[in-house]
Amino acid sequence: MKKIKFLSLLTLSFLMAATTFAQTADEIISKHIEAIGGAENWKKINTVKQEASISVQGMDIPVVITFVHNKAFKQEFTVMGMTGYSIITVDSGWNFSPMAGQTKPEPITADELKYGKDQLDLQGEFIDYKAKGHSLEVLAKEDVDGTECLVVKINRKSGTESVFYFDPKTYYMIRTKSKVVTNGQEVESVINMSNFQKLPEGIVMPFTMESSAVPAPITVTKVVINGPVDESTFKVSQ
Amino acid sequence: MMKRITSLLVFAFSVLSITSEAQTDINSSTFGALEARVLGPGTMSGRISAIEGVNAENGKTVYVGTAGGGVWKTTNAGASFKPIFDKYCQSIGALAIDQKNPKVIYVGTGESNMRNSVSIGDGFYKSTDAGSNWQRIGGLDSTEHIAKIAIDPNNSNTVYVAAPGALWSDSKHRGLYKSTDGGKTFEKILFISDKTGCADVSLDPSNPNTVYATTWEFRRTPHSFSSGGSGSGIWKSLDGGKAWKELANGIPAKPIGRTALAIAPSSPNNLIAIVEAKETGLYISADGGETWKPQSASLNVVSRPFYFSSLVIDPKDPKRVYRPAYSFAYSSDGGYSFAEASGEGGWVHSDHHALWINPSNTNHLYLGTDGGVYTSLDRGATWTFIQGLPVGQFYHVDHDMGAPYRVFGGLQDNGSWVAPSSGPGGVGNGDWKPIYSGDGFWVTPDPTDPNIAYAESQGGDVNRIDLKTVKSVGVRPLQTDKEEKLRWNWNTAIVTGKANPKNLYTGAQYLYRSQDQGRNWTRISLDLTTNDKKKQEQENSGGLSADNTSAENHTTIFTIAESPLDANQVWVGTDDGNLQVTTDGGNTWTNTSTNIVPTGIPAQTWVSSIEPSHFNKDVVYATFENHMYGDHKTYAAKSTDGGKNWKAFISKEFSGFAHKIIEDPVNQNVLFLGTEMGLFASVNGGQDWFRMKNNIPWYALVRDLKIHPKTNDLIIATHGRGILIVDDISSMRALSKDVTDKNVHLFETGDITLSTGEFGSGGFPSTGGWVSGNAPSLKPFQYYLKDKINTGTVKIEVYDKTGKLVQTVPASNRKGINRVTWSQRMMPPKTATGATKPDNGGAVAPQVLPGEYTLKLKIGADEYSQSFRMVHDSKSNFSLSERNDQFAAAMELYNLHLKLATIVAGISDKQKIYKDNVAKLKNKKSIKIGNDYLIALETLRAELIPTKQKSIFADESRLREDITQVYLAICFNEAGPSNLQLESIKSLTKKVNEAEKKAVEINGLHEEKLRSALAKEKL
Repeated sequence: MKKIKFLSLLTLSFLMAATTFAQTADEIISKHIEAIGGAENWKKINTVKQEASISVQGMDIPVVITFVHNKAFKQEFTVMGMTGYSIITVDSGWNFSPMAGQTKPEPITADELKYGKDQLDLQGEFIDYKAKGHSLEVLAKEDVDGTECLVVKINRKSGTESVFYFDPKTYYMIRTKSKVVTNGQEVESVINMSNFQKLPEGIVMPFTMESSAVPAPITVTKVVINGPVDESTFKVSQ
Repeated sequence: MMKRITSLLVFAFSVLSITSEAQTDINSSTFGALEARVLGPGTMSGRISAIEGVNAENGKTVYVGTAGGGVWKTTNAGASFKPIFDKYCQSIGALAIDQKNPKVIYVGTGESNMRNSVSIGDGFYKSTDAGSNWQRIGGLDSTEHIAKIAIDPNNSNTVYVAAPGALWSDSKHRGLYKSTDGGKTFEKILFISDKTGCADVSLDPSNPNTVYATTWEFRRTPHSFSSGGSGSGIWKSLDGGKAWKELANGIPAKPIGRTALAIAPSSPNNLIAIVEAKETGLYISADGGETWKPQSASLNVVSRPFYFSSLVIDPKDPKRVYRPAYSFAYSSDGGYSFAEASGEGGWVHSDHHALWINPSNTNHLYLGTDGGVYTSLDRGATWTFIQGLPVGQFYHVDHDMGAPYRVFGGLQDNGSWVAPSSGPGGVGNGDWKPIYSGDGFWVTPDPTDPNIAYAESQGGDVNRIDLKTVKSVGVRPLQTDKEEKLRWNWNTAIVTGKANPKNLYTGAQYLYRSQDQGRNWTRISLDLTTNDKKKQEQENSGGLSADNTSAENHTTIFTIAESPLDANQVWVGTDDGNLQVTTDGGNTWTNTSTNIVPTGIPAQTWVSSIEPSHFNKDVVYATFENHMYGDHKTYAAKSTDGGKNWKAFISKEFSGFAHKIIEDPVNQNVLFLGTEMGLFASVNGGQDWFRMKNNIPWYALVRDLKIHPKTNDLIIATHGRGILIVDDISSMRALSKDVTDKNVHLFETGDITLSTGEFGSGGFPSTGGWVSGNAPSLKPFQYYLKDKINTGTVKIEVYDKTGKLVQTVPASNRKGINRVTWSQRMMPPKTATGATKPDNGGAVAPQVLPGEYTLKLKIGADEYSQSFRMVHDSKSNFSLSERNDQFAAAMELYNLHLKLATIVAGISDKQKIYKDNVAKLKNKKSIKIGNDYLIALETLRAELIPTKQKSIFADESRLREDITQVYLAICFNEAGPSNLQLESIKSLTKKVNEAEKKAVEINGLHEEKLRSALAKEKL
């Protein structure tokens, strides 16, 4: 009897090992979508407004991020009393960084716009990814800060690629890695995500993000889903 | 039968559970925050074994394969390179790009420049995304060395791989392999014998079924090298490798050695071959190899054919032939005569192994040498060195006790160098100083004299170097009438005493000791080797081409170690398997080698390192390596009874033969082991080991290791990735089980010395070349997390002794050790806003004063606190009273900023009253009242902050900027405030007070009037 128990345990563990090993991209993605609230809930999202802050050596940089699904994105930040922003819409993109000496908004390059536009799919590019023209492939598991992650690569319709790292316990996406090619130069952009919280709308979002481009993590303090967003938000004041 | 299966499974399960119980949860990711920094250098880079560019990218995208540093990629014609193969074998033999789909890259591991120190590979890899991700495929894992990969230009799925195969042993895993499924599977299509591999393959671009290949019979033993034999030859197939014909008409008679073959892409019947033979020379054929005739036999053509196997013909000009070899030679007449590259523009490192010609601009060449990559824009006449490729091949590393300490090391074909471990703006190429030439090996500073170091070149050429003048004195011990001819290892040990730092040791077959910096030597042993005469016939080494550069010297002393606890206890390891110890300073010696064999470590193994314990005289660690007999297993062992009995360390993690084991001088349970394929660590005395992956290539060739006793840095000498430093490994010592059992553990911070940064800034950024980061210039807080924190924020709050929050620092949430650095400053002041320009004062805070502080690590709702002290650096030129004055002055200015911000905010608030209502006002008088008020306020505001110019280059300095100017000067300096700074604080205070008064006056004059005007209009 004892042996049978052992055996079944063993078989079970082998089976489990086999299933985790054999997960397809679709399986990983569907578990991920489920973990962050399910496709139905995400498909209801049209706008998101996040208030956040970055703390650099005790100096707080307030950040306001506004998304309109498939239309526009704006990130506004205030440093040393000056407010700058990045705007990406379906047909143009702008940066304004007065603290860096810019006196008026500057258009981003076509390459940057191509990558920026990938971010406009607010409902998530995995949802109905095939219909959106993307393809996925599973890569070898990889350690992300101590978590052996499931790894999925997306090849987007736009021609860009990103790699996503999923915590196998929670199926939350804890890292994205994108190779951004600008003027033939490859720049790797890494974003780490944590502090996942469930919103009243039933969806789960990371409230802390770290990016290789920013010196300190960005922490979200407030999220408004499907609130009104004035179109003038994305207007560039020349 | 069933029962047997069941019991096997139960057995398997119990084994599994034993393994999992025995394993601790500690692995490389536990220490992931302790990332190695790459000290470099890029100034002398390492041996380059392969270069391939993307034809359609006009020389911009190029891949470089290295002898021991993996694969690097540039997308900007060499302005910068990135490593793209860090999780795999670092010894690269060949690269190939599918030019039809240049996202497909093949890598053949295992360099094929078959010198004594060449490393092996572990197979064939493919990337389908331009090098971001890799898969090992093809089943060529045992070939050990791959020389060339050729892709059929018409059919990308057809791939040929030339594998010379194992260097040190017979092997059937060699020959020419062919794949017809894009590398998934291979078939061996040309095989001569277990001793003969395939050294080269070329396809006729106009008819890729015509395949040329060269075979090569070669072998090394620990004490000899042989290139050439009846198996070597030149072969041609007309049917994609099914049938082969040997090409010999006009080629020297057998035996021949290694043949480099090149096909003229623009005229594919024209072939060129350099054939190693009794009379090595260059041969040409104009009929697809059917007949050959001799051409040049100049030095560069004939030199070391086993080592220099590159021969390239211009893609467009069949007469333009390049021979990268000892130096760079080119021919414009099809190989009849050769000219040499000019030294104009700088020395081109000797010993060349790879050349790529940009087919879109055939003037543009990339050259791989023993010292890195060069590019040429004039067909190889002159060259520019690429400064940013840190792939140096160190053999040994050492350090001194300075602050910052200096790092000393010797490199393959690149001499001996010294550099600071940190410096202003980092450590750049220019910070590295050469101190001796030749191949470099051991370099060690004299612990008793900071101006002296000992360095050598190959074969025991030991020197004492004056580090101030960089003049050297040869101090190699000489044979007297009492000794046999001295036998020096290629990589002869020079070691100073750990217990008695005046002791300097070196060894041939005898051990020598000097106590006066090598001026006089005492031989303190008899021959400590096996003195096997059969292994001493180096003059006959080389095969067809004589080649004995001391690299084959054998039956010599290789490693020497004095016990840190007793200067009379000295250990010596030889390259032929002897492990000898004296406990009386060299009067008597005991050979312990037979005691090692019972552990399973073969006799005759090279004793690669010995580490006498820092804690117990009877404890000693050693590594052994047997790769020169074809055995690449990892051998490391420990004795606890002075060498009588040994226990081997065993781990599934190990890979590669062992070079070095060290014991941490503070915690004897912390051990590090460097092998030909990785760095391994144990925190439980060697019971469990894990591979270190902390920004360290997973299969790095780790030749030497040191732990700095003051900084606790782990210094790693790699043979292909330069020097790596893992700063401060003290948290690795502290991970006892009671720590790892906790969910969160805050390590004792101890005292933190106040500093604006230890190494200075340097003032200007680097203009290029490799620049390493510095050690952390401020001491971080460290904590351990059992698991990654996925919910809730993680932050550290610092409080002063009154309980006031000083600063909140965002903190990391990774599993394992975390390091978070606090700026040692308060929160910056909120300076006046609403200006047209930013103000830096709002980003800078005064540095705190010495004293007691508390840190609170907050993880979600949980809190872990600890008190610690900030201390003044009593050794600095900055006195404590100056520090107190600095703080007081900085706080005055800080408060002035706050006050000014309040005044300006008040002005803006009052202006807003009018601005909010101006559109609604109807009465002209009211508008004038409002407008007068607005103008009066604006006039004042414009005196306090910039209101006109947006450009950061426009100097619209107002009171806010005046405060900031003094504030920054005081906050950033490690100095007390000057008399004029104090004077200006008084003046600024007066101005702020006046502004405050002025605002009150203006409000007094205007506000009530405006409010009543608004009231009249019911606003």
